[in-house]
Parts: sequence; structure tokens; C-alpha cells
Amino acid sequence: MKRYVYINDDNLAQDLYCDNRISNRKYTIWNFLPKNLWEQFSRFMNQYFLLIACLQLWSLITPVNPASTWGPLIFIFAVSAIKEAWDDYNRYLSDKKANEKEVWIVRQGIRKLIQAQDVRVGNIVWLRENDEVPCDLVLLGTADPQGICYVETAALDGETDLKTRVIPSACMGIDIELLHKIKGVIECPGPDKDIRRLDANMRLFPPFLDNDMFPLTIKNTLLQSCYLRNTEWACGVAVYTGNETKLGMCRGVPEPKLTAVDAMIDKLTGAIFVFQIVVVIVLGIAGNVWKDTEARKLWYVRYPKQGPWYELLIIPLRFELLCSIMIPISIKVSLDLVKGLYAKFIDWDDHMVDLETKTRSNAANTAISEDLGQVEYILTDKTGTLTENKMIFKRCCISGRFYGNENGDALTDTELLNAVSSGSADVIRFLKVMAICNTVIPVRSKSGAISYKAQSQDEEALVRAAARLHMVLANKNGNILEINLNASLLQYEVLDILEFTSERKRMSVVVKDCQSGKIFLLSKGADEAILPHSHAGQEIRTYAETVEQYAQLGLRTLCLAWRELDDDEYQEWALMFKDANSTLIDREWRVAEACQRLEHDLEILGVAAIEDRLQDGVPETIATLRKAGINFWMLTGDKQNTAIQIALSCNFVSPEPKGQLLMVDGKTEDEVCRSLERVLLTMRITNTEPKDVAFVVDGWALEIALKHYRKAFTELAILSRTAICCRVTPSQKAQLVELLKTCDYRTLAIGDGGNDVRMIQQADIGVGISGREGLQAARAADYSIGKFRFLKRLILVHGRYSYNRTAFLSQYSFYKSLLICFIQIFFSFISGVSGTSLFNSVSLMAYNVFYTSVPVLVSVLDKDLSERTVMQHPQILFYCQAGRLLNPSTFAGWFGRSLFHAIVVFAITIHSYALEKSEMEEVSMVALSGCIWLQAFVVALETNSFTVLQHLAIWGNLVGFYAINWIVSAIPSSGMYTIMFRLCKQPLYWITMILIVAAGMGPVLALKYFRYTYRSSKINILQQAERLGGPILSLGNIESQTRTLEKDLSPLSISLPKNRNSSVYEPLLTESPNSTRRSLGAGAPFDFFQSQSRLSTNYSRNCKDN
Amino acid sequence: MNSGTPSSSAGAPGSAESAAPRRNSKRPKYSRFTQQELPACKPILTPKWVISAFLLVSVVFIPIGVVSLFASRDVVEIIDRYETECIPLDSRNNKTGFMWSNADKTCNRIITVTKHMKQPIYVYYQLDNFYQNHRRYVKSRSDQQLRNPGNERDISTCSPEDTTPEGLPIVPCGLIAWSMFNDTYSLSRNNQQLGINKRGISWQSDRDRKFGKGVFPKNFQNGTAPGGAKLNESIPLSEQEDLIVWMRTAALPTFRKLYGKIEVDLQAGDVINVTLQNNYNTYNFNGKKKLVLSTTSWLGGKNDFMGIAYLTVGGLCFCLAMGFMLIYLIKPRQLGDPSYLSWNRNPGGH
Repeated sequence: MKRYVYINDDNLAQDLYCDNRISNRKYTIWNFLPKNLWEQFSRFMNQYFLLIACLQLWSLITPVNPASTWGPLIFIFAVSAIKEAWDDYNRYLSDKKANEKEVWIVRQGIRKLIQAQDVRVGNIVWLRENDEVPCDLVLLGTADPQGICYVETAALDGETDLKTRVIPSACMGIDIELLHKIKGVIECPGPDKDIRRLDANMRLFPPFLDNDMFPLTIKNTLLQSCYLRNTEWACGVAVYTGNETKLGMCRGVPEPKLTAVDAMIDKLTGAIFVFQIVVVIVLGIAGNVWKDTEARKLWYVRYPKQGPWYELLIIPLRFELLCSIMIPISIKVSLDLVKGLYAKFIDWDDHMVDLETKTRSNAANTAISEDLGQVEYILTDKTGTLTENKMIFKRCCISGRFYGNENGDALTDTELLNAVSSGSADVIRFLKVMAICNTVIPVRSKSGAISYKAQSQDEEALVRAAARLHMVLANKNGNILEINLNASLLQYEVLDILEFTSERKRMSVVVKDCQSGKIFLLSKGADEAILPHSHAGQEIRTYAETVEQYAQLGLRTLCLAWRELDDDEYQEWALMFKDANSTLIDREWRVAEACQRLEHDLEILGVAAIEDRLQDGVPETIATLRKAGINFWMLTGDKQNTAIQIALSCNFVSPEPKGQLLMVDGKTEDEVCRSLERVLLTMRITNTEPKDVAFVVDGWALEIALKHYRKAFTELAILSRTAICCRVTPSQKAQLVELLKTCDYRTLAIGDGGNDVRMIQQADIGVGISGREGLQAARAADYSIGKFRFLKRLILVHGRYSYNRTAFLSQYSFYKSLLICFIQIFFSFISGVSGTSLFNSVSLMAYNVFYTSVPVLVSVLDKDLSERTVMQHPQILFYCQAGRLLNPSTFAGWFGRSLFHAIVVFAITIHSYALEKSEMEEVSMVALSGCIWLQAFVVALETNSFTVLQHLAIWGNLVGFYAINWIVSAIPSSGMYTIMFRLCKQPLYWITMILIVAAGMGPVLALKYFRYTYRSSKINILQQAERLGGPILSLGNIESQTRTLEKDLSPLSISLPKNRNSSVYEPLLTESPNSTRRSLGAGAPFDFFQSQSRLSTNYSRNCKDN
Repeated sequence: MNSGTPSSSAGAPGSAESAAPRRNSKRPKYSRFTQQELPACKPILTPKWVISAFLLVSVVFIPIGVVSLFASRDVVEIIDRYETECIPLDSRNNKTGFMWSNADKTCNRIITVTKHMKQPIYVYYQLDNFYQNHRRYVKSRSDQQLRNPGNERDISTCSPEDTTPEGLPIVPCGLIAWSMFNDTYSLSRNNQQLGINKRGISWQSDRDRKFGKGVFPKNFQNGTAPGGAKLNESIPLSEQEDLIVWMRTAALPTFRKLYGKIEVDLQAGDVINVTLQNNYNTYNFNGKKKLVLSTTSWLGGKNDFMGIAYLTVGGLCFCLAMGFMLIYLIKPRQLGDPSYLSWNRNPGGH
């Protein structure tokens, strides 16, 4: 599927490819209704409701007016559709804005301004500085004489540094006038989503050049949504447009995520559905039998002797309709509403505002807040997520002298400042390497201030530091480099750049001092890449020790070195280097070899230590969340040492001897296999030991492990609470998430850069840090937060509350539907199993839509524990993680309660309204009011904290019930005309209500009180402590204070308890990891014990044994 | 490692403070709502609270139960079951056949008043095992037709008693009206007729709104299937009170409907002769028929259920209160005791 792009050819039919219209829309005006309805009806619950609604149109079987189902159904569908339409309209608006942006293109040799959406493949697009690239372009020309331009690709891959792009060699030297007339053909592959690769060829037509083919790479392109920087203008030919650009192909609608709670609700719905079918079958058979034996004797019913062929089905179908309310139609709307509000609470939360950047947290996905409370694994990126991603030069060691050790900042170290001002040769050389040996571009703003644009944050940090130490990289003009040193100007000519590669782990530049004409090689790189190449006789041990010492402090280290080159040596080498650079086969390897030839006998100047500061509160956040039973994995593209150092400094792993790191490494399959088995073995043994074991794996070994030893690696993943994966690619990050998900763990991925996007999208919950590496991760994520430490609040406060509230709300919805349904079923036994509805249509509809859904909606304000308590006792999150508040056993409780309440309401109603008072409408209203009273008290009993709104909703709803019914009772044509007035005048009615409430709530209250006091859960205990001012809270403070002291004494040694109770991992050793979860969630007696052990283990693992 | 706790708990209020001025100036009104910080009352189930709640319930319920029971006991109720006795002995093995025959169905019953009965004394008929709530039955009526003379053809819901075989609409249509109860009672005391007032036995609202003044029975009980009572075609439906009472269908298979009121007191020992026409066929489904004379109380008729239920609930609550009190005294348990938090019982043992 190659495409041939004819440059600037106005005559060719260009309709071959799509135009540049960007469309993220899901619907058009025409297909909105069918498509949206189709989507909604692809859900089981909706199909069910539609079926019920259709069945109700058949008047022979419908017990009530079809409006009682159609009304709510249409309402629910309308709400969903309007929400979708609104979202889509917003997408349309943002698309429109992008599409109508104006760009310059060339038409018939003249530059013209057109809208971005009209750009066609083959058009030449002109960009000016800071313009956004409207589509994928192949560069043809830039303002720079060497054909270089700079782009910022933040929107594409999230990296904020500037990247250089060059024009193809074929276009080199074509002047600006000719560029308007350039003709040629580009042969490129069909659209794909690989933003790092383009394999294309270009051929320019005469008169520009001969017919040679020129290869094009990604370096010759400007991709859509990048910004042109530091370049006056650039022009290029459009090769991919619209949704076929690299970015457009990457876009793609992520799969809608389903929370564990939703899955559980679906499961329970399924169970209720089965129960309903059973009830229908039983009642259907009973009804048919009763009809044939008894009803035929009832002359006043006048059953025909011979019914239609489907006669047998009629009664079961009637019961199906009668029981259809078992599955509450309101639950979907209620859940959508409260979920929307959870998300809003996250948006509104003032405690999660990043005060530096004034960014609020944002919940882009409003549907998965409950999952936050059920997270079991957090996979986190390192740079920019745990750390600030602000590299700062902190310490250095120059010729054996340490700077910055006392005050922790070399830039303010007077000794170093004195050395600089006194012109110490070693120091000056060191600074020169810092300032010169890099690819940083100084940019002078209009006010004269210099800012630096760098590909690597480390380099930027070094250059900045050098500038602070009066070695200012002032200008880079082609190959000429200008440096200000104490007001004197030094000029250097950059002869060659020996680029950094991950294999070489160093970079060097060859410069010529313009004053003296001497040639120098300046190198910087990792210690293992520099120190072995030092010249013989140099004492490198001090440097090695220094590096070690800095690494202990979590600093990134770079060794700086230099060597003076002979002219001859350089000339000879330069030839070889040029040669290597122009080979076509194995170029990279040959270049590396050539570099090797030069980079030897280096004189080590010193070691620079750069700090990537941990974000505020990261260790505390990780400690708290681990205490809450969440396991952490660190996935980073960074190198192993740095990753481990950061992991140590942020409580991720403990240093020896408390913690143990197990390496999974190896270059070949066998090596990896052996190391994996060894680690597994250790892991199984140390399970019983009080050690904090983590495994470390690098990208290469991971690749092999995932490919060939997936099973073993999965076991390792289950066994290990902590893992550090370094040098991993974005797709490997996503694979690891996938792996944990297949083990049935709830995963949360948090990251900040473009390389985290896939992991974020893959995980159950994706959290983006809206940080320095652009907003791409934040855009792809379900939640975006400003700082890592907000994660604690997001999970412990918002996630936990959301889970608790949804658990109550969903089970309550089933409870109230079952309640009224059971009454209908009981009634059918005293109405000849004929399928008569006790309640009238209006009541049934209003029951689900108004009377019972309003009070429960305010449960979104309910807080079982205060935020403070939760933060102090994060272990309590276990109840959410293990799904203790919403599972089949809690549901069975609610089921039993609804059965009990139905019996109470029904029995009391038919006995107190018996004989001469057994009028149908009255009995119906008495039973209905009984249900309403009971449910008001149930909500009140289950509410943990009453705000004004809750009182208003619960008791106001009760008043509302009477108001509505009085209004309906005042309408002469309604079936219940005057009924409610009559009832309210009867003392019997009111004492019946009181009896129903007392008989219904008494046992429930007694049971709850008993469990609350004598079989209290941890939540209950904390509630009691919190509200009675018990000793727990103060205890928490004391504990933590002692621990603070502990920490002050030994900043890096994190003390761990003697863990004698580590039963937590034992169940995990069983064949299926799911078995643990199941047993945890099932609510069996065993479950309680296990939870305790798990909690206590988690806790004891994290606290000090004193 | 635990040091996260103080700094976090200190950190959260700290950031709240720093955010406070801005919040207060920007969104003063609903910020407590958006921050989920609405003042809330957080009750918990303390023993004191729960025990006194149960005690309170029992203290309130037991008197109400006693009063209800007395009210119910004050009601004098005389029930006379007559469906079997009113069949001549020779027809008792074929009761249905007797009902269909043209034999004289007059029957005499004697009721002795056991206790003084104050007027008004309500006369009910009670049917047992009669399913007025059967789906086929309860739906077979047309409220439109009953209300409005113009809607006499509004009979779609009345099947199978909607039209005569000739296709003329039946007014009132439907199974309910068609199967109307048609036993009649006349009472006499000491050979003196006891007047039964049949006016005002139905609901005022039904007479005014549900049954039209201009709607007259038409083609009623003309069909082949013999039903219940016939209606006087010259009286509008709004004055056919027996029909109106019957059309208020009962939710239970055992029900009483008002037949009339006796507006004189009956003395204890009075003997009442009842002459009844045993017209209504309940024999093929074993339905019972009873004649009931009853006075009334503030709670309605004789019904011990309320009293017993209140006493039971009150008693149980008292037992629960006592039980909880005992447990509380014998085995006191400190609420919110941290030692019950399993993660504080850590094996390190301090």
C-alpha cells in the first residue's frame, strides 16, 4: 500500500487521499439516533428493559399500564443520549477550531492562506516560528542555511525538549524562490501509527536535480501537532493528512473501562435475573394449575373452556412482567448521576490543587471512581512522576576536592566560587567541559536573557550550573561556540560531535580553541563508560568512590574528562570518522568503533552530581499507600542504578539487610531462565522471612521472560509486592499492566510522559501527572493530578468514599425493588395466582423513579469515616480492595432484609386492613406507604453522617410522598380518587404505619447494634473511636511521632518489623491467583480470619518492631 | 515509614488553609458542599442510645396495644354463617343444582344478641374464598362507562361481559357488575320489622364522581349466562348503592361488604329473625356466606390483630432492651477500643 505523493502538483486529481479534516466525532447528525440507540441496546440490562416494555404493550398480560415502564425507560435513554450528544458536540467544536485554523500553502507558485482542513496531500505548507504543524510534512526547506529546524513534539510523544529536523540532502541549497516551484515525487508507505519511523524515498524532478532517489527518515519530517521553534520559517510537503496522519492513526477510541463494582453489579443483576426466572416459572406453573383446578369453578371469572394455543404462556408472562421490577430500572440513572458527582468532587477538591501551577485535579473518566478504592497494584513511572523532573546540579568532585558536600549545593559553595574567581585551572577546565560538551542550544530572548533548549535535561542542568559559575554558554552560531568567562569571550569551533548512545553511555565533542588553535576532546558520561578509558597512572579510585557515594544519595552522576589531541592524530581520526559516518551497512557500530579510537587516555576532571529531586511527599505517599495494602511496581526507562537509588529514597524498597533486591538478568534465554528460577526460589523461601523482597528486571530480560517464561514470571509477579523494571519500553510497560490484569488484580498506572500513555490506557485506572513532560499522559488518563502525592487522597478519600457509596446505593436499589416485588408475589398467592398487581401503575412508576431514588442519591454525601481517620489508618482501605461492602454475601443480607420487610409490610397490611376494610385501593396504598416509611428508615439507619441535605432528602421525600399522593387523590378520574384523604383520616392507618416501622426496623436495628458493638468491623471501631474521641486517634499520632524520630536518625534505612505473620502470601502460592480473591470476597468465616492476617501483615510489614 | 502519617495529616489542613482565602472569596456558598465538608451529625449506635430506643418503643407500644385491644373487645359482633343451613336437607348433595333451580330460596335464621349493641349497627355480608382480586375479574369493568352516559360503548376492558349476543353494550358492563351479590336480608325483632337503612352505605365520592347520575342500567343480565343481582333500569347508577359497594373490589379473598345500617340499639338477649333470600351461588367453589351484625370503634370493626401485634412488638422490644442491658452490664465493651484493631495487635508485641 505505497503512496506516491507528487509535490506541488495542482493538476493531479488529489482526491486520492482524504483531506485534512480532523474528526474525533463519534456521531453525525444523521446517524446519531440509530447509532446511539444501537450502542445503548447492546447492553444486556437495556435489552431486558426493552423486552419488558414491549411485552407490556400486550394488554392481555400486562398487569399495569405500559407507561410505568416506558416512561422511565425513555427518560433513562434520553439522559444517556443527551450526555453523549453533548460530549460529541464538544468534540465537534474542538475539531472545528483545529480545522479552521489558517495555514499558508503554495498554489500555482504563489503562497496563499487557506483553512487547515483544505490542505491536500502534495501541497507545500509554509510554517513560521511557533506555528503548529497542520499535517504530516516532509521538510523541503528552512530558514537555516544548513537546513536545520527545531520542533517541539510535546503533543506527540510528551517530550518537551527540542528536536532537530533536517531537510533531505536533495533539497539542500534550494533557495526560497525555487521552493515555490519545486516538483518531485515522494514514495512513502501507507499511513501507520509509528511516530519514530518513516521509510520513504524522494525524487526531485529536473531542473532541480537529476533523477536520483534520496532516502527519507523521520528526521526529515514535521509531524502533525508539533510546533516549529527557533526557526524563522520552514516548508514541507504534506504526505499524510487528516485522520491518516501519524497522530491521527494513534488516536483511536480507548476501550470503555468497566469497574469491578460494575462487574459485580452486573453479576448480581444476573443472579437476580435467574432468581426472577425461577420465580416466574414456579408462579407460572402454580398459576396454571390453580387456574385449571380452582379458577374454573369460579363461575364469576368465566374462564373460557378453550383458550388460545398460547394460553399456557399467559400466566408466566404476566408474572414475568409483574416481577420485572426486581431489576431496578433506576439503578443505571442513579449510578450515572452519582458517578458524575464523584468525578465532580475530584475536580472540585481544593486539597488536590497543585499550588505551583494552579492545576486542579481532573477526572476525565467519570465512570470509574469506585475502582480507585479497589486498587491493588500501582505501576508508576519514575521520572517526572516520583521525581520533579527538574535536574539540578548539586555537587561535584573536581580533582579529588569535594564541593557542595557541606551545604548540599555546590553552586553556593564558597570554596568552589573562590576557586572559580581565582581561576583554578582544574575547576575552569571542568566548567568548560560542562559548558561545551553538549548539544544545548542557547536562545537569546529580546531582553538579552539567555535560555537553554536541550534534548537532555542533564545537559541543561550542567550548562545552567556552569552559567551560574560564570562560565556562560552565550551563543552557538553554526560550528562556532561562544563562551563568556568572567567577561572575557572565548570562542571554540566544534569539529565533531560523538553522539550519545545508550550502548556507549557517553558523548564527546571535539573542539578547536579559536585563540590557541589547540584541539581538545571533551567527554562526559556514566562512570563505567569513562573511568576505564582514563590514561594510565591516573588515580580513578577516588572518583569511583565518589560516584558510589553520590549514588547513595540518589544523585545522578556524570564523569567529565578531557584530552588534548595532536593535530595529526585528529586529522587521521577525522577521516576515519567521516568514513564510518557515510557507510551504509552497520553504520552505528562502525561509528561507535571510530569513537572508541579517540576516546582513550582521557584525563578525568571530576564528577558532577545532578539531583532529580523527589516530589514533595512521595515517600510518605508510598508508605501510606503500601500500608493500605497496595503493591507498587516501578517501571522506568531509566537505568538500573538510578532506578534503584530512587526506589530506596522513596520507601519503595528497603536497603540491606532489611530489604533484598533480586536481580532477574541475563542476555540469553538460558541465562534469564536460570536467573528467574533462582529468584523464584529465593522468593518462595523468603516468604517466611521478615524481609522486604523486591525484584529488579531490565527491559532485555523482561522481553525474554515475557516471551518464553511467562508462567514463571507471572508467579514472580504474584509473589512480589515490589518490583523495579528498568530500561523498559512503553509497550513493555503496557504488557506488564496486562500481565497483572490477567492475574485479576486491579491496576493503577501513573505516569507523566508520552511513553506512559499506553500503560495508562491499558490499566484499569490511568492517572496522569500533568507535569513538565507535556500533557499527553494527562490527556490519555482517566484522572490527571498535579503531583504524585495527591494520589493518596485520590485513592484513600475519593476512591474509598466512591466505593462505599456505590456499594450502598446499588444494593439499596436492589433492596427496594425486591421489597415491592416480593409484596406483589405474596399478593399473587391470595389473588388466585392470576397475576394481579396490588399496586397501580402510577405508584409503581413513582416508587422507582421518585419515592425511593431521591433519598438514596444523597448518600453521595455520606462519609463513614472522616478523611483524617482514613489517612491515619490507611489499612481500612482493605475493605474496599477485597470488595467487602459489595459482594454476594452482603447482597444476601440485603436480599434477606427485603424479604423480611416484604413479609412485615404484607402481613401487617392484610391483617389490619382485613374484612370490611379490605378495599383494593386502600390496601394497596397502605402497603405502599409501609414500603416508603420502611425505606426512609433503612436509608436513615445506613447513613453514617447526616448533613442537612440528607435530612432534607430522607424526610422531605416522605413528605413528598404524601403530597404527591394527595394530589393524585384529588383527581376524580384517577383510580385512587380520595383514597389518600380517607386513609390519612383513619387512626388505624397511622398506627399501622408505626407498627410496620417498628416491626420492620426493630430486628434490623438490634442486629446492626449487636454486630456494631460485639462483632465490630474495623470500620466500626474507627467510627466509634472517631466519634467518641477514643484513644485510637491519639495513638496513631504517638506511633507516627516515634517513627519520625526513627527516620531522622537514619534517613535511608527504613526499619522493618520482624514479620512473624506472613500468611498473606501463602494463599497466593496456590495455582490460581483468583482463588485468593474469591475467598477474600466471599465473606466466609475463613475470610474474616484471612483478612485480619492480611491486614496485620501489611501493617506489621510497615511498622517498627520495638 | 509511618512518618507519612503526621506530615500528611498536617499537610492536608495546611493546604486547606492556604487554599482557604481563595476559596472563600471565590466560591463561598457551596464550597462546603464541593469540598464534602458540610457540617454533619454523625450518630453512632451506643448502648445507651439503642437500649433507650428499644425501651421507649416498648413503653409507647404496650399502652397502645392495650387500648387497641380494648377497643376491639368493645365491639359487639354477631356472625351467622348460613350458606349450608339455607339449603334444604334433600338438596345438600347437589347444592349447585338447587341454586340453578327455580325453587324457593327463602330461608329463616335466628340470631340472638349476646350483648348490648349501640346504634348504628352495621349489617355486612361476608364472603369467604371469593376472589374479587382475580386478575380476570378485577379488570373487567369500565370506569368511563360508569361515569358518563356518553361513554356507554366504552366497553373494551369488559370482556367477556361487554355486549349482549346482539351486540348491544351492557351497562354496567364487566364481570364485577354482572356477578353482583344478590342475597337479601330482612330482619325482625319480636315480630317487628327492623329497618335496614341502605342509604349512604357506599362512599360519597363514588356516588358523586365515579357513578354517573345520568347513567342507567341497560341490557343488564339479559345474556344467556345467569349472573348475580339484577338492577332496576329506572334508577341511575349513582343511586344503586349495592352496586357501588360491590364494585369496590376487595383485595383479599375473604371480605365483608356493607349491606345496610340498623339505626336502633339492640339489647342483650334480643332474638332476631332473619328472612333471607339465598340467591347467590357460592357452592361450586366452596365459598362461605355469612351475615354479620357489628358495632364499630375508633379502630373500625372487631379486629384483635392490632392490639396483639402492638403488645407483641412492645414486649419484644422490652426483651431486647433488657437483653442488651444485661450484655452491656455483664460484658462491657469499650467502644472504639484500639486493641480490637487487628493491625494494632501486631506480632512485634509492644
